[in-house]
Amino acid sequence: MITVGDQELPWQEGLTVATLLARLKDGHIYAVVKLDGRLVSRPHFNITPVPDGARVTLIPMIAGG
Amino acid sequence: MTTMKTTTLKTLAYQRRDVDKGYTNQYLDVDLSAGTISVGTVEEKIKKTFIGGKGFDLWLLWDAVKGENKWDDPRNAVCISSGPMGGTPAYPGSGKSIVTSISPLTGSVIDSNVGGYFGPYLKFSGFDALRITGKAQGDTVVVIDGIEEKIEILQIPGLPEDAYALSDVLTDHFSQGKKVGISVISAGPGAANTRIGCLNFSWYDNARKRVRYKQAGRGGIGTVFADKGIRAVVARWEQVSLKTNNPADLEALKAVARCHSREIVELDPKQNEMARLGTVHLVPIMNDFDLLPTHNFQYGSHPGASLIGREAFEKLFDPGYDGCWKGCTVACAHGVKDFVPYTGKYKGKKVFVDGPEYETIAGCGSNLGIFDPFTILEINFYCDAYGLDTISVGTGIAFVMECFERGLINTNHTGGMDLSFGNRVNALELVHQMAAGKGFGAIAGQGIRRMKGIFADQFGADPAMLQDIGMESKGLEFSEYMTKESLAQQGGYGLALKGPQHDEAWLIFLDMVHNFMPTFEQKAEALHWFPMFRTWFGLCGLCKLPWNDIVPEDNKDTLEPAKVMKHVNWYADYYTAVTGNPATPEDLITMSEAVYNFQRIFNLKMGYGTRDHDTLPYRAVGPVTVEEYESRQDRYDTELKEKYSIDITGKDTAWKVAALRKRREAQYETLKDAVYERRGWTADGIPTVATVKRLGIDFPEVMAVLAKNGVK
Ligand code: SF4
Repeated sequence: MITVGDQELPWQEGLTVATLLARLKDGHIYAVVKLDGRLVSRPHFNITPVPDGARVTLIPMIAGG
Repeated sequence: MTTMKTTTLKTLAYQRRDVDKGYTNQYLDVDLSAGTISVGTVEEKIKKTFIGGKGFDLWLLWDAVKGENKWDDPRNAVCISSGPMGGTPAYPGSGKSIVTSISPLTGSVIDSNVGGYFGPYLKFSGFDALRITGKAQGDTVVVIDGIEEKIEILQIPGLPEDAYALSDVLTDHFSQGKKVGISVISAGPGAANTRIGCLNFSWYDNARKRVRYKQAGRGGIGTVFADKGIRAVVARWEQVSLKTNNPADLEALKAVARCHSREIVELDPKQNEMARLGTVHLVPIMNDFDLLPTHNFQYGSHPGASLIGREAFEKLFDPGYDGCWKGCTVACAHGVKDFVPYTGKYKGKKVFVDGPEYETIAGCGSNLGIFDPFTILEINFYCDAYGLDTISVGTGIAFVMECFERGLINTNHTGGMDLSFGNRVNALELVHQMAAGKGFGAIAGQGIRRMKGIFADQFGADPAMLQDIGMESKGLEFSEYMTKESLAQQGGYGLALKGPQHDEAWLIFLDMVHNFMPTFEQKAEALHWFPMFRTWFGLCGLCKLPWNDIVPEDNKDTLEPAKVMKHVNWYADYYTAVTGNPATPEDLITMSEAVYNFQRIFNLKMGYGTRDHDTLPYRAVGPVTVEEYESRQDRYDTELKEKYSIDITGKDTAWKVAALRKRREAQYETLKDAVYERRGWTADGIPTVATVKRLGIDFPEVMAVLAKNGVK
């Protein structure tokens, strides 16, 4: 299992941040996520594996400046 | 208490007026040339039109200066005001001061938004705003003592030179044992010897038992302050509670403050972790999206960025509460303790560094090709101590380094210094020289616009190249975001009233990453709404970070997520609760529009404020050089082929650079047209008579400025 926000979701072999977001209703709007406390940005979503037991927080990246 | 030899030049004893619904309805006027102190009234019409903060500053500044006055004219004023909500302790981000003056860099109006306790203490002492005009003999300190109801102009010789030591000494001297009751504004030697001087605004950190600082950095206001012969302004006040602003509806204020404050405490640890890390989280994100300025804005990412980002500074920051005003739960004003500089006056001594924030890391780090957090800390420390703006220092040295690497200047001009990118020792040496006004630093401290003139006229450098790569607009150095691939942010910088600072509009993510505004009209709408809403914070004494650095979890499901409308509604409620004037979110925009247009016309009064002045160096718009083009070749080739239907078969890169430039420059001009129209301005970028009438700023003097510029 992995935790996305307050939600528990099943984990599967080969899961990446990109495939995880594709499973979520609004996944496409996120440009940054926090994976086990580490920030991951969209250019790295495809190549970043999500390990079993991971905690993922979706960051609404409209801040800055 | 530190003993000092103090001569009193003037004293005004006054009866403090309590704050009523966020206002004292009076301002303090100090004329250093005449040695006078007086109290003026803020009339109802002025209050209604200008709201407070930057609005009050602009009104006082307009009244002080004539169109032909230069920054160093005694008539130029330094105006400081918080705003009706300024000083509220429970609502996050409610302690800001806004400072305005005529800038030595731009020749026109500059404004800077700053934390620390000064603005609230000034208001609680009985004054919505402070205006300082004239020039003193030197060694002058103005003291506003709200507890003893006394204003003094003092002469204190022998004060320490740098801003850190100076604020320490003055806090100790005037505190009467309660240091938290003192806030000091000071500049430093760098402010006197350059055009890029900042002001340090202090607050006392009771937990760490030390004076802390925030900077009013942009546009050289510290230089104006130093030129006036003034060393410091001290405010003294003590008790602050939710009642000190005497809000119209205390219960409503408590309710809305609780909502926003609690939300931040709950969500910040899940989102950007501002309370732990501040804005340093932006460094890796900007780098990943190719937006982190490196090597004078040539490129947007670098493998070394990970060394100067979140992971480095989370180890270096001193843990603890870091709110720059009481009760701010965002608390992002972090610092590093026991840092030991390896150069300058503090070499080998332990110091506390207030910062760095994202802008300083990008400006004095990646943009200089420096990927060492300790050098960034040392530049940050000395800029503050000398009273130099870290953004203008960073962007200015980046320009120098690129000129050096391209052979536009050489060691004959730099006093023998190798100023290649990444040269940490010489970057620091240049900061010391700037502050002292010596060597090549005396030139670099003049800012990019004047450096361009000197490099071309005296060193024989190619003026066209200097224009393309010198990252200034209106005379102000760019803050630290790459705009090449975001037309909306090009507008955010190029159309900003004071010059390219991101506090008016930060649209890169919305535009480039999310593609929320594909058409010119949508970009123009964003370049109306966002600058107006962001202006509003500066009218009210507020910090913009709590608005959109932490957002509600259901924000993404709202109609316009970028605006974070739940918070905008809270801000309208907050304004209503304090002032008693009912306001909707739309009203907040209209309030700002009046002040924003007034500032645009103020630029016009000073000889600027038209279309020609909204230009950008091409580096901000697209690739200047073949190397830059090739670093993003796929993107640019695709743009030429698909967006502009240009056949690029067999064309070399130089040809493509030129072809792209023609299109991108035209695009920016089209954007200007769309934005001017949306803002109710003429094609030359001047507010129309109908616009100023609608906004209630049709004062006779305003109409005269418009008429003089052909708008009737
Ligand atoms: S959010 Fe940060 S900068 Fe803004 S008031 Fe709070 S501590 Fe100061």
